[in-house]
Parts: sequence; C-alpha cells; structure tokens
Amino acid sequence: MYRRLLINIYQVRNGLIHTQNTRLPSTKCKERESLASAIWAPCTARPLGTSSIFFNENKESSTSQLEDKGKKPEENEANAEINTAEQKKTEVNEGTKKSNAALTSQLETEPVVKPEDSNQVEKSKSGKENLLELLGAMKVEVTTVRKIRPSKTPRMSERPDQEPMESAHSMFQHAAAEGSQQHGTLNPALAAAVSAAASTLPNKHQAESELLKQLRKHEAVPDTKRRADGQNLGHIIADMKVGRRANGRSNARPTSQIRFDDDGKGYTQDRGIIGELDGVRRRKSPFTSKRLNIFTAGVEQDALSHLGPTLWDIDLANQIVQTTNQMPRNGFEEMIQWTKEGKLWQYPINNEAGLEEEASVPFHEHVFLEKHLDESFPRQGPVRHFMELVITGLAKNHHLTVQQKKEHIDWFRDYFQQKDDVLKEAEA
Amino acid sequence: MASSCSQALRHHVCKSNRILRVYLQKSWPNRSFVLSSAADQPAVSSPEEIVIPRKKTWSKEAVLQALASTVNRDPTASDYRLQDDPYLTPKTSSEFKLFSLSQESGKNAAKYFINTYPKYFQKDYAQPHIPCLMPETLEAQIEEVSEAALIERIQMRKVKAAVDLYDQLLQAGTSVSLDVTNQLLDLICFYGDSDPAQENVPEQRNEETEDIQDEPQAKKGRAPKANDLLKATWKENNNAERIFALLSEPNPHSYSALIRGMVKYGAYSKAFSIYTDLLNNRLKADVHTFNALITAAPEVKEKYNEKWELIVDLLKQMAEQKVKPNLLTLNTVLKALRRCGTLGKSQAFPVISEMKALSIEPSLASYNHLLAIFYKPGAPIQGQTDILQEVMNEVSGKSFTPQDPDDAQFFITALRICLDTKDMEQAYRVHELLGVGENWRLLGNDFQQNIYHARFFSLLCMMENIDVVLKWYRDLVPSVYYPSSNVMRDLLQALDTDNRLDLIPQIWKDIKQLGHGNRQKLVEELLTLMAREKHNQEVQESLAECALDIKKMYDAGDRGKVMLSWTATSLSDLTSVLLAAQRRQDAWEMLKLFKAHNRVPSEELLNKFLTCIKDSGDVDQAVELVQITAGFCLPETPKLIQRVQQEFELSEQQKNILSDLELQTFNSD
Repeated sequence: MYRRLLINIYQVRNGLIHTQNTRLPSTKCKERESLASAIWAPCTARPLGTSSIFFNENKESSTSQLEDKGKKPEENEANAEINTAEQKKTEVNEGTKKSNAALTSQLETEPVVKPEDSNQVEKSKSGKENLLELLGAMKVEVTTVRKIRPSKTPRMSERPDQEPMESAHSMFQHAAAEGSQQHGTLNPALAAAVSAAASTLPNKHQAESELLKQLRKHEAVPDTKRRADGQNLGHIIADMKVGRRANGRSNARPTSQIRFDDDGKGYTQDRGIIGELDGVRRRKSPFTSKRLNIFTAGVEQDALSHLGPTLWDIDLANQIVQTTNQMPRNGFEEMIQWTKEGKLWQYPINNEAGLEEEASVPFHEHVFLEKHLDESFPRQGPVRHFMELVITGLAKNHHLTVQQKKEHIDWFRDYFQQKDDVLKEAEA
Repeated sequence: MASSCSQALRHHVCKSNRILRVYLQKSWPNRSFVLSSAADQPAVSSPEEIVIPRKKTWSKEAVLQALASTVNRDPTASDYRLQDDPYLTPKTSSEFKLFSLSQESGKNAAKYFINTYPKYFQKDYAQPHIPCLMPETLEAQIEEVSEAALIERIQMRKVKAAVDLYDQLLQAGTSVSLDVTNQLLDLICFYGDSDPAQENVPEQRNEETEDIQDEPQAKKGRAPKANDLLKATWKENNNAERIFALLSEPNPHSYSALIRGMVKYGAYSKAFSIYTDLLNNRLKADVHTFNALITAAPEVKEKYNEKWELIVDLLKQMAEQKVKPNLLTLNTVLKALRRCGTLGKSQAFPVISEMKALSIEPSLASYNHLLAIFYKPGAPIQGQTDILQEVMNEVSGKSFTPQDPDDAQFFITALRICLDTKDMEQAYRVHELLGVGENWRLLGNDFQQNIYHARFFSLLCMMENIDVVLKWYRDLVPSVYYPSSNVMRDLLQALDTDNRLDLIPQIWKDIKQLGHGNRQKLVEELLTLMAREKHNQEVQESLAECALDIKKMYDAGDRGKVMLSWTATSLSDLTSVLLAAQRRQDAWEMLKLFKAHNRVPSEELLNKFLTCIKDSGDVDQAVELVQITAGFCLPETPKLIQRVQQEFELSEQQKNILSDLELQTFNSD
C-alpha cells in the first residue's frame, strides 16, 4: 500500500511537471481515486459515501508517512515536491470527499460529461505507460467511478461558491490569512515549489497559502510526536493491508495487477503480516462454505421395516472393530473387555448388583408372606404361632429369593402334615 | 430516630404484606393444581414445579472405566499385553511381531479345538453360565427340509447349504417368506456366492519374518484383503441373480442386497442396471443401496466431471425419494471425490457443509478423505498447508468414536502431510488429538501404529533440537514404538546436527537392544560419526568402550544371524576411535584385522597411528607398523619409514630392518 502510494506520488509529480494543464488536479485526483478504488475494489459495491471515507483514511495515513520521509535531513527539491503534490491532493480530495456525499444522488445524471472527460484523462496520462497499465487492469466498477469523479471536480473549481464547497472555501481563506504571516519561517526552496505547484491550480493564491499552511503544520509537529507516529505507522500499515487482503486478492483480480501491486522487496514481508492478521481476523474456515443444497434438512426417513441388524451391518461393525485398536492398555481395560464379553462378574454400580433374577419381583412379595400360610396351616395354636415367627424371619431375610422363601414355607407345610397325628395326639 | 425507624419498618411490612397478598392471589390458580408443592413451600417462593432429577443409569462398566481413567501410560514399562512374562517381553520389532502373532494364534488354536471337538467341552463350570466360553455349534441341527432349517443355515453362514435347501423347498412346493429370502440374498451377495473361509481353520500363511520397515508403500497388512477381493468376482447368473429372478415381488431390501453384492464384487454397471430396474418397479431404494451406488459411480464413468455428475444425480435422487443420507454416504461421496481430480478440491467442502446441514457430523474418515483430496501423495505441495490447519482446527479437542473402517487412516494421513510439509506444529496437534478421549483406538492396528510413530519421530528428528527429540525418544521408545534402522539413522543425524555425539554410546546400547546392531549401514554410519571429531578425554573414553562393543558385534557370529563384514572404512574408523582414546593395544589388534580381512588402511590412519606410538615412545611397535605397511605395499611406505627414522631413536638392528624395507619398496616400485 505504502509502496503503491509512493509510486503513485512519483507518477503524479511527473504529471505535474510535464503537463501544465489547468485540469490537472482533477486528473490527479482521478488517478488517486482510481487507485484507491482498486485497493478497495469490492468496496465500490457499497454506497460511494462510505468508500470515500475509507479512501480518506488511506490518504491520511499516507500523508503522515510522507511527513516522516520529507523531514529527513537531506531534504531536497524532489521530496518537497512529493510533499506538495501530496498536500495538493489532500486538499482536492477533501473537497471531493465533501462534494461526493452531495453528488452521489446526481450520479446517474452525470454520464453525459463522460466522453470529453475521459479524453482528457487519456491525454494527461499519455506519457505514463505504467499508470495506463494499472488503469487498464482495473475492475469495471473503477471505470464507473472515473466517469463520475471528473465531472464534479471541474464543477467545483468553476463554481467554488457552491453549497457543499462552502466550508472548504472558508477554510481556504482562513489559511490564506495565516499563510501570509508565517511565510518567512519556511524553507525558501519549499516555498518556491509550493508556488510553482499552486500556479497550476485555478485558484492560485488560495491554493498556495493552503499548501504552505499545511507544510508549516507538519513542520511544527514536535519530534516526539513524530516518533510516536512512526511507531503507529506499523499499525496503520498493518491495518491497511488487512483491509486490502480482506477485500481483494480474490480470483477476480487480473494477475498483471497483482504483480504491479506487489513488486519490490516489500512483497514477502507483506505476505507475512497479511498471513498473520489473516489468521486472527478471518475466522471464516472452508468448513462453513456454501453447501450443495440437494437435501432439505429435517426430512424424515420412511421407517423401513428392519428385522434387526443385517449381515451387512454386522460386517461393517466387524470391519470397524478390526481396523481400530482394541487392545487393552491396562488391567482395568482388560476387565472392561471381559465384562462386555460376559466373562467377568460385573462390578457393583448400585445396591441391586447381582439381583438380576429378583429385579422384576416387587418388595411386598418378599415382605408380606402371610398369604402363603392361609391354605393348610391351622388358624391358631402353637403351629400357627410358630409359622408366624417363621415368616417374620423370612420377611427380614435378604439372602433368599421369593421362590426360596416359598419353598421354605412349603417344607414346613409338608412337615406339619406328616406330623399331623403327633400333633393331634398332643391335642394341638 | 427510633420512631422514624419503626415507621419505616411498619411501612415496609405493610408494603411487603400487600405484595404478598397480590402474590398469593396470583398464585392461587396454580395452587389448586400443584397442591403439595405449594403447601410445602413458603408462600413467597415461586410456584415453580419441582423437577425431580432423572434416575441416573450407569453402564455396567462404569466403575471399571472410572478406574481405568486413573491409569496413565508408563513410558518405562512395556505395553500391557506384553507384560505376562518378563522373560518373554519383546525388545525388538521382530520379537514384538512374533509375540503378538503367537498370542493371537494361541487363542485361535484354542478356539479351533473347542469348536472342532465340542463334545469334550460340554462341562459348564461357570456359575452363572458364560455363553462365550462354550463351543459354538458349527453343524446344522435341523435336518428336515423346512424354513426353520433354512434360517439356521443362513445364521451359520453356510452359503451352499442354504442355497441347496432353498431349492429343495421350492421344488417341494413350499413357499419361502420374503424376509427369509431376503436374508438368503443378503448372505449370497455378501459372500459373492461362495462359502466364507472358515475363520477358525488354521491358515497356511507365509510368515513375514523381516522387520516392518516404515516405507508407506509396504502394505503387507492389507495385501491379503486385496487378494481376496480380486479373487472373487461377481459371476454371471449366479445363485443370487437366479433367486432374485424367482421372486415374484422383490422389495427394496432384495434390490439392496443384490446391488450391494454386485458393487462389492465389482459388477458396477450391472448394479446400475438393477437400480434402473428398481426405479421402473416404482420402488424406493434405501440408503445402503445409494451408498453402494455412489461407491460404484467412479468406476462406471471415465471423465472426472461425468463421475461427479453421476454422484450428484444419485444424491438428488436420494433427496427425491426422501432417503436420509448417513455418515457413510458422506464418506463414500468424499472417497469418490478422491478420484475426481481437481473437482474434488472444489466440491469437497460443499459436500461436508451439506452433511453438516443435515446434522451429520463428519468422522475422522471424512477428514481423512478430505486430506487425501487436497494432498495427493507425491504431488508437490503448494499453498495447501492451510487445509491441514483448517482440519486440525475443526477436529482438535474432540473425541471420536469409530464409525467408519477408514477412520483409522486419519492419523497416518495427517502425519504423512506433516512430514511432507515439515510442519512440526501441526504434527504436535495431531499427536495431541490422539490423546483425547478414546481417540487412541483410532490409530489402528500395530502396523499402522508403527507407521504413525515412525513418521512422527522422523519429523521430530528433522525439525526439533536434540533435547526435544531425546525427550520424545525416551517417551516412545521402546514402550510403544520400536524404531527401524532408518529411523535410528535419522536420530544419529539429529545428534550430529546438534553436536551431541557424546550421546552415541547410549544410543548404541539402544540400537543393540532394538536388534539393529547387525545393520551394516547403520553401524558404519555410527562409526564414521564417532571417528570424525576429536572430543574431550572422558567422551573419547566412552566412545572407545562403545567401539570395542561394536567390534564384538562384528566378531560374534551368532547362529543364523546376518554377520557384519569389515570394510576398510569401518576398520579405520574403529581404529582411529581407539587411537583417539589412547588405546594403543586395542588399536594394534584392529590393525591386524586389516590383514586378516584383506582391507587396506589409509595413509592418514597410519600416520595417526605413528603419532600415537611416538607419544608412547615404543620403538619396536613403530618398526613393526612400518613392516605391516610395507606388507600392504602402500605407496606411502617410504614416507613412513622416513618419519620413523627421523622421529625415533632406533637401534642398529631396527635401522637395518628399515633400510631393508626401504630397499624393498624401492625395488617394487
């Protein structure tokens, strides 16, 4: 991004020198914007207002960067020119940004102006093959932007009193007042460059003073802050790159453009930052991609009459068992395996362990055993009394099953029947 | 103060009373329904119904599982199943193989005898009865011709007998129910109209006694399976087709059985024609049928896009017939996509998303197919690394249950990719996944485990520093993994790169224990590494000890074992190691071995030797060395003679010997 901006600036500077066209700012602006729209290509789908905001952010960060460059001790003519060019663009862009919002509604009505404008664009760029290449590689949306932008910048310069321009205009005047006061503090070479640059603008005086004001503002920035800016620069660059990555680098972009964007040594480094931030920012995994859309969720399967597992199911289970590791890793796992195979007594998991055969017998069968006494035992007497004691004991015995308890009672029944005569004799 | 306080209090009570009343009125209707709960609760609490927690049912293995989870792997102990007898605990991979094979075959032999002679094993000692310990009945019990007899034969998987009985039943005029016929069809189709090989009949297997090498191409584990499949093919008009044709009204199950059998035995286009038949009869296929057809799809079409179109077509028909796909459908589609070239890459993720939308969670097999689609073995890897990462993001931390036979391939595939891309980070993640839940079961059988660990360890040797490598080495070897000689060489290289050659004696012990002590290449590499650099006294001493141990390896010709043969390099390496440790006497023995094995020592070695002799000042030996050198007719002999003459104080006799030698060599030149 940073590199691209630099390239752009150099090209713009060339344009400044070669073509002393009054419309130049507008073409510069166009170039910048078309570039920016290449950066934010997918953004163009959004309303223009937002895209221009992005664009503005861009520009700001780039200017701060340029400051750093420009303030180096070996500050020379060329640098100054970059700076001025940048400043000029800044101001013009600010203007366009403002007018942009107002003009978005007029977009559809404007295309009439297109032919001549595009001609001029062509003319101004005739010497700059690189730029043409770049523009040629741009997306379709970019051309629509180009159509619109030129039409409003000339207008702006022609009728500076237009309503959306008001604030900008007043700012210019304010700057002019200030600029005249502080003229002497600036580097004369810079000032000369500024005036030369300003001469290309329609509103020469105002432009010049504005440029100077901007320069001075940057001069006044304390060193510490500048350093801090430099530190922030990394973040800014990173942010910019993420933005680009998130949008672009899609397959739709022509390869030639990519090559142009990323030439030079910054390429691999860029990739690294992009890659890292990509991982953080872009949480979109291919697993959440679009689906085939063949089935509709929630369709109930027709209940097929199944007679238990078929041979195929058994085979599948067998295959799975065979491919997986079923070896026990310790003694407990081996015991689990044995439990499953039925070779091992189960570990108790509740108080009913080992009561499988009694599980279906309710407790009252165990406790209320009087019903078994009714048929053949005497209604009263010592035998009855004895048997009542027996069933009380049985009721409390948890070792016997109901069946065993019944058998126990039956044994006594037999016994007392056999001893019937003896009992009778003893008048029981 | 107090009055205001009480006033406030009264006010508050009043207020709360009012609230209470309102509240009670509100909750009144509820009360009538939930009388008991409202009565138990104070009126202020909410009239929620008490939710009685459901009775927790524990599986019968719950206690054991809890206990098992407390046991961790002990890297110093051998595997649990090898612990029966310390004497028999295997130390090398071949021993391990022998051990597990014999364990397995012992079980099989016992089973074979029990099943072959059931009459001797009728006594039931167990109380309660344990069915799995009783002999299985292998002979049909019902003799008469009836449907019950047919069912019995089907359950015993006796294909021929069942078909015969079915024919007899038809001839006798008794009709067989459709369900039973379908079961019969299942049986015939499953075994391709031939009796299954008896599991408990001892097979004549050609024993592979050689070590498992970690070459991924070695597919010994799968070879017999593939052979079986190749042998059996779908025969024209076999019993299945004949019985199917006899059915007056085949139902989807009958079609399913036939189609699955045809696909299993390679009659792919036939399967599709049966499917058309099914559609013509206005029947609906079941999900298994579709799975089988999707498996067959790549076989019947030539071009990639045709294959894919056919699959999509089948899926659409599934949707039309309201058949809900299952996990196996997903995996089959992905498996088919592996054979659709580049189409696979574009369609794999939509397929997975589709299945996820149907709340079918992919199993490890799905991910395995996915990885196989994106990383073809042997193909250059470019920009694909993130797919593995995505997959790992998706699976890490999850515990998988085996659901597909291909599940066990995942870990191997993932590590293959890690090894190809040299991606240590992902390898660690794969290894971590292996430790989650029951995932270790999905690593597969011993063979696959070996491949997995070999890949993991090779990658470690390549990418990590030696301390980390050794940490893993101590952890894995030999409790879960017996490295092959190739992997040991990787380890040696790792030692070399990190300059930790002092660890060689330790590694040599392991090498010997792992049974690689007789690997020529490995031992020679070891010797070269030992001889290459000069170390401090202590290390040099231990290296010399190790060298002598290696020498024993050469000497001891164990019966039947492959003998190492001395080469010039191994001899001179060993000698120089001994010389570096000032073991002149041992080195002298080594020098004699040159002659015995017809090898020629290098000039460098002889010079080294001479320097060593000079340090000790043994003139006799120096002269003897020159004599030996002369015996080899080395061109360097004159130089050595000169050196001896200059550097040693010689007696008359020795001088004579030397001048004689000088003359000899001169003449021979």
